[in-house]
Amino acid sequence: MTFFRKFSLLLCFATLTVIASGCSREAGDIGAANGGGGGGNAAGTETGADTLEVKPNVVLGSVKITTVAEVEQELKDNGGNMIPLFETVPNLLAEYVDQDADKLATLNKQLKDSHVKRSNLGQEKTKTTEQTVEDGGDENVPFQLGDLVPMADDEFPELADLDADAEWADKPVLDAMDLMRQRQENEEAEATIEEAMALVNDSPVNNSKIRSAIGRLASLDGSNADFNASWSRHTAGDVRSTNPLMASSSAEFDVSGLINFGLLGFDWTFTPYGSKDGIVSWQTSSDGLYDKIVLRDDLIWSDGTPITAHDVEFSYKVIMTSKVPVPAVRSGTDQLLGVKAYDDRTVVFFHPDSLATNVWNILFPIIPKHVFEGSVAEDPTMQSSAYHVEKDENPVTGGAYVITKRVRGQEITLERRESYHTVDGTQVRAIPYFKNIRFTIIEDPNTALLSLKKGDIDEYQLTPPQWTDQTGDEEFYNKNTKAYDIEWVYFYFGWNNRSHFFRDVRVRKAMGLAYDHNELLTRHRNNLDEAARGIFHSTSPWSPETLPESYKQDLDLAEELLAEAGWEDTDDDGILDGMVFIDDGFDGQIDSVQRVPFKFTIVSSNRPDRVAMCELLQENLDQIGIECSVSPVEFTTLQDRSRKHQFHAQFGGWGTGTDPDTSENLWATKAIDSGRNYVCYSSPEIDQLFIDGKYELDPDKRREIYRQIHLKLYEDQPYTWLYYRNAYFAFNKELRGVNFSARGPYSYGPGESSIFKSPAMQ
Amino acid sequence: MSENEQTTIEHSPGFWSQAWSRYKRRKLAMVALLFIVFLSGVAVFSPMIAGTKPIICKYKGSIYFPCMGYYYSGWENPIFQKDKFRRVYPRNLKQKDPDSWAIWPLVYQDPYRPVRANEWGLGEDGNPYDAQGSPSSLNLFGTYKTGFDIFASMVHGTRIALLVGFVSTGLSALIGICIGAIAGYIGGWVDITLSRFIEVVMCVPSLVLILALLAVVESPNIFHVMAVLGLTGWTGMARLTRAEFLKLRESEFVAAARCLGARPTRIMFRHILPNSLAPVLVPIAFGIAAAILVEAALSLLGFGISPPNPSWGTVLNSGREKLQSGYWWQLLFPGIAIFLTVLAYNLIGEGLQESTDPRLADPRD
Repeated sequence: MTFFRKFSLLLCFATLTVIASGCSREAGDIGAANGGGGGGNAAGTETGADTLEVKPNVVLGSVKITTVAEVEQELKDNGGNMIPLFETVPNLLAEYVDQDADKLATLNKQLKDSHVKRSNLGQEKTKTTEQTVEDGGDENVPFQLGDLVPMADDEFPELADLDADAEWADKPVLDAMDLMRQRQENEEAEATIEEAMALVNDSPVNNSKIRSAIGRLASLDGSNADFNASWSRHTAGDVRSTNPLMASSSAEFDVSGLINFGLLGFDWTFTPYGSKDGIVSWQTSSDGLYDKIVLRDDLIWSDGTPITAHDVEFSYKVIMTSKVPVPAVRSGTDQLLGVKAYDDRTVVFFHPDSLATNVWNILFPIIPKHVFEGSVAEDPTMQSSAYHVEKDENPVTGGAYVITKRVRGQEITLERRESYHTVDGTQVRAIPYFKNIRFTIIEDPNTALLSLKKGDIDEYQLTPPQWTDQTGDEEFYNKNTKAYDIEWVYFYFGWNNRSHFFRDVRVRKAMGLAYDHNELLTRHRNNLDEAARGIFHSTSPWSPETLPESYKQDLDLAEELLAEAGWEDTDDDGILDGMVFIDDGFDGQIDSVQRVPFKFTIVSSNRPDRVAMCELLQENLDQIGIECSVSPVEFTTLQDRSRKHQFHAQFGGWGTGTDPDTSENLWATKAIDSGRNYVCYSSPEIDQLFIDGKYELDPDKRREIYRQIHLKLYEDQPYTWLYYRNAYFAFNKELRGVNFSARGPYSYGPGESSIFKSPAMQ
Repeated sequence: MSENEQTTIEHSPGFWSQAWSRYKRRKLAMVALLFIVFLSGVAVFSPMIAGTKPIICKYKGSIYFPCMGYYYSGWENPIFQKDKFRRVYPRNLKQKDPDSWAIWPLVYQDPYRPVRANEWGLGEDGNPYDAQGSPSSLNLFGTYKTGFDIFASMVHGTRIALLVGFVSTGLSALIGICIGAIAGYIGGWVDITLSRFIEVVMCVPSLVLILALLAVVESPNIFHVMAVLGLTGWTGMARLTRAEFLKLRESEFVAAARCLGARPTRIMFRHILPNSLAPVLVPIAFGIAAAILVEAALSLLGFGISPPNPSWGTVLNSGREKLQSGYWWQLLFPGIAIFLTVLAYNLIGEGLQESTDPRLADPRD
């Protein structure tokens, strides 16, 4: 039963959903993050190191030079060449050249001379990365299936040898529904369903009662579930492709999760397990280098072909083909050395190292080999040829549901698949509760709420104003109820570390101090959300035991920090100005040094609530003499500019991955070029901690590492963390079995697969 | 020749003064005209009507005009920034210089931010928001978003509303009249080419073009919108001007001017244009009304003026989002303002049409 959901879980793991538009395009960017295959290593300030002799006592990160006098001495020593210095002591050097036209001219000339060579190097690098991301590989290289797979075909050992060496240890194979049932056996329902449905959710107590009541699962025999029911879900955006490899938006993951299947899943604590509906056994070798999974023999594709281990191997190879433009799911999968199907049932995954994150790399979507084997070479995009278009319209899938109807921009209808749960006349898997699941696409939040009140859709994620203002009346409670729970999603102002304004940590801190966090939480978030204090939520096991203090508005302190960092109004125009090193292209290369006014633009997606939060920043900064303008842009444009680091500041949000290692993609130096480190944050300490976190297998020690990362990042303030957004959901009163996780009510095991409708209410 | 003209004007009322006397008799059109004059006054003096910066104040021995900052932020005296006023004047003026005095705008509200608690240092409340933000004595038209005052936003938004109308229609009138004049006066293949060009431009839907432009331009602002509206909206005027020119170039006074050796540009703009302007004025009036509507529509769609600048459409948009919450004041006041302004321009247009059409002239004239 819980099986059909696993698939989207694994994708969501890999993705760390971008919460930016609130609609399906949220995760649109994921793929670009990793298309380069981990190639880039250029740190923000390291470029050009090959052309410049960096003196040992001024290496990156050194703080040995602390006064302008020392800068002067250092310059004398190295013959007046300022460039080695600007990377380590930019502000001091700016201070040194300040007010001295000759020094300024010398430095600008030096920068200009060295720039040509360095920019050439930089451009080449950017070009290769981008090409891999966007075109799916070099035009001239012929298609070769699995050309990115690190292991050659003849390197795989025989299964017998492997079995002899590996000392297999069994991993849990179970059904998430059983897990949830066990959990609920120890929990007393706080209210009966009748009581809960009569409640108005206006207090935490009532919220807890409603959640407890609607969370109760169906009885084991399913007698209180209506198996002919249909569930009408809301989605904010359309699905571009039904091919699970091409999924990148949350709508695509939602639909994929229902129509496809996976081998592993994870529960509400994000503990991975083998899925009983799909596999017989899951074993890991004692050295952690191999995972062996034996598939069940009663898995059947929707066209009647059996699902085998060869499909798994084939899917891996397709993902690891440079010509195939896989937007999201290559991340993680590319960490494997190889995947080998030894027979129809047995598949082995090869890891390069014994890492805590190995298990998450096994989670990739599986596509039917017999459908795509012959066609993928011809059309590596898997989207363009007539054959692929037909297969996208009527996909061959392995999950519990099949697509029966797709109206672009309006709806997607799924139907329960007979051959999934019943093979040769015997029921081999639990029958999914819903006969039909329909996704209705409604972009506008107001229209969606109206549809919910009318009963056209059964569930909908509310915005905070809707929660407080528009869902308290009889009209709403007539057919629906609502509940919220903590979700690990935070929103932030990101400061580009390559921007001449925000390179200095003191300026970034000043931004946090200038912002009126109190007004944000009360007026903008309706007192519903909690202030964010770093990358991990306080209820996450990875967050420090005592979280750092959240920022409070203190304009005087902000001004002091800015003055310390060299930002003062020297020309009496009411706007701060400072002597800074300017990186015009945000490519990590200093182009010139100048005195500039503190005027910048913050980019945000064009949703009114987000623009309003940026406007508050604008107002607050105006109070201390900084001119900030807000530029609301379309979501795809925002993503594009983020990826290319073309911004000074941005408003954004991140959801949680299942493993803290997913955050490496946001903070590691290598993620500037190949990941989603949009703000170009670079710290050798953080880089090392993330690597340590991968290798540390002891859970307690590993937790300690991520706590350190949390604290270090909060100290460096590459983001001004704003708030965690709770999951506010409205449900039709007929829905039962809804339980929340830190990823919302659906994206975990059992998640949406435990949801049902009661026949009594029909 | 000029002497000749002057004498005729002195003897009997000319076309324009006749038209004006006919226009004056149309009550509705006059009311509409007065309304627009009133709005223009509001637009020009908006910082003095609603604002949180003193119109004039004496601070530490000097006189300042901080309200000028509403026109252009650089005009707000930097001394207040230096003295850490943080854009809050009432409390700080008293605190930092007890001898200071100030003349305040009629309504102490700001279009760029909600007024917060204790700005006067009297322990007073800040602007209410959401459901509490209904019209009151402090917030005449209520509040929107997180407590922004609708009255202040609309007063300052008048500048944008009128500017959009004038600038875009002015631009299209300029283009339209020039192209129409050239096509009509020169005729021949020039006319054929220009007429086909007019038809091509007519086919471009301006709203779609604006949306496309806003997607392309790095940081789109209201002037881009004005430019597109102006560059696409001139076709009607061009056709009317062309028709007038076709007719008038055959008339006797043009022949006379030509005989006297006047150059084509002089004939076109000095002699024919004033006589052909009447029919063109009507679409100008209607065009202004249409431009205001387009700006409101764009703001309603969220593509209009860049935040946090106030405009009527922005307030309306907020009201649309909160429709189900029942915040009627966010829809009513900007709705009425847009309706009345568009109506006024249409009435003016109609008045112009009827007072400049000789066939509709009152025989008593």
